[in-house]
Amino acid sequence: MRDSELVNKTPSSFEAASSFKYPNARENKTQVVINMKGDRKYIWIFLFPMAAFLTVFLYYPFFKSVYFSFYRTKGFFDKKFIGWDNYDRLFSDKLLGAATLHTLEILVYVLVFQVGIALVLAVMVDNINKFKGFFRSVFFFPVVISGTAISLLFVLFYNYNFGLLNSILANFGLEKVLWLSENNALKAIAVPTVWHYVGFYFVLFVTAMSKIPEDYYDAAKLEGITGVKKMVKLTIPLILSDIKVVITLAITGTLKVFDFVWVISRAQNGTDVLGTYMYKKAMVDQNFGYGSTVAIYMVVLGVVIALLANRLLKSEEITY
Amino acid sequence: MKRSSLALLSMLMVFTMFLAACGNKTEEKNTASETPKTETETPKETEAPKKDVSLRVFSTFGGTDTAREAFQAALDEFTSKNPNVKIENDTMSANDDGFRTKVNTDMNSGNEPDLLFYFVGTDAQGFVDAGKVVPLNDILDADAEWKAGFSPAALENTRQKDGNIYAAPLTGFYEGLFVNKKIFADNNLELPTDWEKMKTAVSTLSKKGIIPLAAPFDQSHYVIEHFILSAAGAKGHNAGLADGIDPNWEKGYAAMKELYDLGAFPKDAATIDLGMASNYYAEGKAAMIIEGSWAMNNWKEPNVIDNTTVLPFPAIPGGVGTGKDAIGGFGTGFYLTKATYDNADKKDAAVALLKHMTSPAVIEKIAIANGGTPAAANVEIKGVNQTATDGFAMAASATSVNNPIDSMVAPETFSTLRAGVQAVVTGKKSPADAVKEAKDIEDANKK
Repeated sequence: MRDSELVNKTPSSFEAASSFKYPNARENKTQVVINMKGDRKYIWIFLFPMAAFLTVFLYYPFFKSVYFSFYRTKGFFDKKFIGWDNYDRLFSDKLLGAATLHTLEILVYVLVFQVGIALVLAVMVDNINKFKGFFRSVFFFPVVISGTAISLLFVLFYNYNFGLLNSILANFGLEKVLWLSENNALKAIAVPTVWHYVGFYFVLFVTAMSKIPEDYYDAAKLEGITGVKKMVKLTIPLILSDIKVVITLAITGTLKVFDFVWVISRAQNGTDVLGTYMYKKAMVDQNFGYGSTVAIYMVVLGVVIALLANRLLKSEEITY
Repeated sequence: MKRSSLALLSMLMVFTMFLAACGNKTEEKNTASETPKTETETPKETEAPKKDVSLRVFSTFGGTDTAREAFQAALDEFTSKNPNVKIENDTMSANDDGFRTKVNTDMNSGNEPDLLFYFVGTDAQGFVDAGKVVPLNDILDADAEWKAGFSPAALENTRQKDGNIYAAPLTGFYEGLFVNKKIFADNNLELPTDWEKMKTAVSTLSKKGIIPLAAPFDQSHYVIEHFILSAAGAKGHNAGLADGIDPNWEKGYAAMKELYDLGAFPKDAATIDLGMASNYYAEGKAAMIIEGSWAMNNWKEPNVIDNTTVLPFPAIPGGVGTGKDAIGGFGTGFYLTKATYDNADKKDAAVALLKHMTSPAVIEKIAIANGGTPAAANVEIKGVNQTATDGFAMAASATSVNNPIDSMVAPETFSTLRAGVQAVVTGKKSPADAVKEAKDIEDANKK
């Protein structure tokens, strides 16, 4: 059955796209269905470049990494199949264990402070009427700056000999502090890491909160629920699904931390994270085989933690 | 619904029309502006009937490199003499390891530059073995004048393991202990010409709050090279780790710890990079630094650069070094890639450019700019300042000039040696364990 009435109204170039056959579709529904089907062709056309792009730049390298993880590589020109040796090394590698712990430590800081501060800021901004846009831009701004630039900034803050922080201390006649000492370095790096992306999650939270219908709050007001109670009992439960998304983003983002650590401490003094460790193995040592193995470990770890977090936060979906 | 897709389509059409319109316009503009150009260029082309060739030269003469302008000028000189040749000066800073990845990826993926300026030794072994570059022996022998321009020692230094010369050297380098004489004089200290004087200087300076030796733990390339050379001597140093561990290497690491315990390193040595260490020296905050000849051009403070001299690193007691051994050589050179050599259109131009870039005149200019030792015979360079002159004298009087360790061992082995520095000086690892760990990695790499 050809939907001739409609086709006749369209210009000829469009005819081919919308003239599908739908044997069992009912007359009154066809209008919607046919057009969805017709659009679908365009959707495919527009989806294809992205899919091709991802295949070339993401999936192909990923499977190539899997392939390389079974080789011992010497630079770029020489490789030898070694079976599971790289994976054996993975499980006995103390440095990798340390890097994992450091990454998890940053993950804790990120979940507690980055997500936490973003949530608190969002609740506060949601409760004011003026300057909402202003605060939104101000808090979002650090996200726009490149991580490396921020890292260089913090190198100059933390430097022992002429860093900003120690200059301030010296002005007050206090003893200089070694900010990037072995006990402190990871926490010092966590500060810019957390700060950099607070704005991003803040914007997500503010957007989520603006979706909550006003009558919920009106009802709460009538019940006399305000302030912290309103936030804990009403706002947060209502945006829980967004919080879940943010936590997943924060987890996957933290596993990729690289620039802050590399620039601020060169991954020394107990700050080596998975990103820097993989880079060192693959790029500095030119051991692409083991570097690829570490990369795969990172992917697996990321998926496991994200699934775990999702499981823990499982709740019923709320529809307004 | 129908209408929305119609609207979408018509919008697309409008866009394409816009694009088409824009395209037409720019085309018109281009042709309009190009016509007079071609007119002026035609007579030139008739003068030089040579085919147009474009060459890509990859080097590290970019970013903050002190010879960047001299290098660009040398390329410009060539293109002005050969107007049919276009040169793309492709550079990447040598401050981090990124350019090694770039070079290797290019060489491995069929994207070779026509001329490549890169390290010799282990770093080049991969693409040399893969036949990506041409041995220069025959080209050198065919052009006696060009060959005679090089100092024989410089050419010898770039010889690869297989006995061929693949890289034409430009300038060499030396590394040494750069000392701020003024700080030593102000504190009534003798220059660290032997180990005892070194220890006295370190403990005195550190008590006074002056950094004795600006050195980072992570980018500790020069520290490792000099401590091991001073402990194990030229032979032990050059043996690498392939055939077993020279016990004197451990003495080198033990000496690092000895100086660290006296307070030799900056407080933040663990987290600074080489740039920051050099900065400490440049600002007069540190009395000594182990660096390469190229570094002094970045020290602008007259108080520092005018008071700097270069010494060989003192011999470590119990070791076999002479105290006059130096790290240096001609660790880099121009490679001619096989792809270019086999390309009849490019071959002659590329060879001509190679000869131009390694002619005594260009070598001299680059050497003046970067403070390196010229690879040309009969080119005597007086240092641009007293420090550079001292440096040349130090290198000239050295009992042996050795290529750095990282050209003798696998990259991963060297990283392990680097990682060992902090662990040893802070007492977390014994020197023997640190060297053993590196040896294990070296063995695994040979598999």
